[in-house]
Amino acid sequence: MVMLAPYAALMLFCGFIPLLVSIREVANPSWINLEGSYTTLFRILKDFRVVPDLKHALFLLAVFVPFTMVAVLAVSLLLDSTPVRGNTLMRLIFILPGIASGGISIMVWMFFLGRHITWDGGNVQWLIAGIAFSSGAGSWIVIQYGSLRSIPHEVIEAARVDGCNRLQLALQIKIPMIARYIGYMAILLTAGAIQIYAEPALLTGWGLTSNWWSLNQVAYSYAFQTADFAGGTALSLDMLLPSVIIGIIFVVRTDFLKRDSYQ
Amino acid sequence: MMRNYEKRNAVLIKLTLWALTILVFLPFLWLLKEAGPNYLVSIKYLSLDQNGIVMVWLKNSAFFTLAALFISVLSSITAGFVLAILKVPLRRFMLFVTLITMLIPITAMAMPLYVLIDKIHLNDNIWGLIIASSYYPFGTFLSYLYFVSALAGDLVGMGRIDGLGDWGLYWHLGIPLSKALWSIVIFFSFLSLWNSYQLPKVLLNDPAHSTLPMGLELLYGNSTAIVGVLMMLPIILLYLLSQRSIERGIFSGAVKG
Repeated sequence: MVMLAPYAALMLFCGFIPLLVSIREVANPSWINLEGSYTTLFRILKDFRVVPDLKHALFLLAVFVPFTMVAVLAVSLLLDSTPVRGNTLMRLIFILPGIASGGISIMVWMFFLGRHITWDGGNVQWLIAGIAFSSGAGSWIVIQYGSLRSIPHEVIEAARVDGCNRLQLALQIKIPMIARYIGYMAILLTAGAIQIYAEPALLTGWGLTSNWWSLNQVAYSYAFQTADFAGGTALSLDMLLPSVIIGIIFVVRTDFLKRDSYQ
Repeated sequence: MMRNYEKRNAVLIKLTLWALTILVFLPFLWLLKEAGPNYLVSIKYLSLDQNGIVMVWLKNSAFFTLAALFISVLSSITAGFVLAILKVPLRRFMLFVTLITMLIPITAMAMPLYVLIDKIHLNDNIWGLIIASSYYPFGTFLSYLYFVSALAGDLVGMGRIDGLGDWGLYWHLGIPLSKALWSIVIFFSFLSLWNSYQLPKVLLNDPAHSTLPMGLELLYGNSTAIVGVLMMLPIILLYLLSQRSIERGIFSGAVKG
């Protein structure tokens, strides 16, 4: 138990207690619920900004999440399938957009593509999805490539002897064997799409988005611009719900939290 | 015939990967060009610009990142090992809270964290930010997944027969067999701390206490590109250092097959 103490203390102080404080905070009086109660969780959804922002989140869930998952898996599988000279350099270059800070990513995208495309309210969601994809995909490629490299060589050889080609190997052997990590990626990408903040916030500085393009920006504006922390927290907890549901389905339907009994 | 088909596919895969690589790299070539041909002169100029405030942000970022990195990596990997291998009370609960706190928006956590940090009188203090940023559930989950799937049960059982206690198991089995995991957790923790933006913005007020990503939004034009390049260098260096481990497989353990 001593080994777990530093993490448990950090989890308590920086995770669990703030989470409880947030849940309790929702019941405090808010600009949208002056008497204060947990109905704020529902009332906040009537804010005029929520519906358009929900549409943006749904767009990201429909475009950014599946595209990132497919692209990450495709590139990781390609990297793993054939020995390529410069493999290390390739992964370094794929991760470059992710290691650049948000401000730099925006600048690169704006100057590199901005000259050829006019971004406005109608198409800026594609720019945001593109920036989010380029910032996140490289890191996931590193993780998924690593998980693919851990598949025992004997398993791959046995499948090859049985006549599997590269595609069959990928679909029937490799993907099922790293399913747990793919699920982990799905949960975090879903949460990332619903809670997107940095990309639209930075684009506000370029005059391309309002300061309430995403749900997280609205929550932030409640909490830190109108000093209505109850409202901001209520919206944050509403945003958490879909990710938690997906997380619970994932935990229940896979062996995510199970382990062998060998202690 | 089959061999030719395989060879042709391999060439196609290589060409596809190189085409993608070039596509991703092109914007960064532009960034390097934009940062100016003479980086050293530019950086020297930048260090003097605005009374050297950029260098103050750089020092703040370096100190904050290294201190929080030390705490977050040690605590998260050890926790991942314990939760995967040892019998501990509330194990599933801790894993679930780890997962939930990883998913909760920073907006919901920032204000309670601000209040808690203020209560221990570390508001607008780099140590407050270090404490608030040292909780690293992503690393704990990655470590948990590694140890639960790659550290073979027989090996742990044999360690127990040889008289190893909990610390012994971690010291003699957990750490030596997870070098690749350490590399990857260090890399991703460093990446997230070095680029951390939202939490420092909430917890730090004085511009002299700012970190580089916060300061970046105050700079415009050529300076932004130079600071951008400057910020990427330590991450690239760390990535190259961790490559050998990543190449071997993040999750590869002691026993295969």
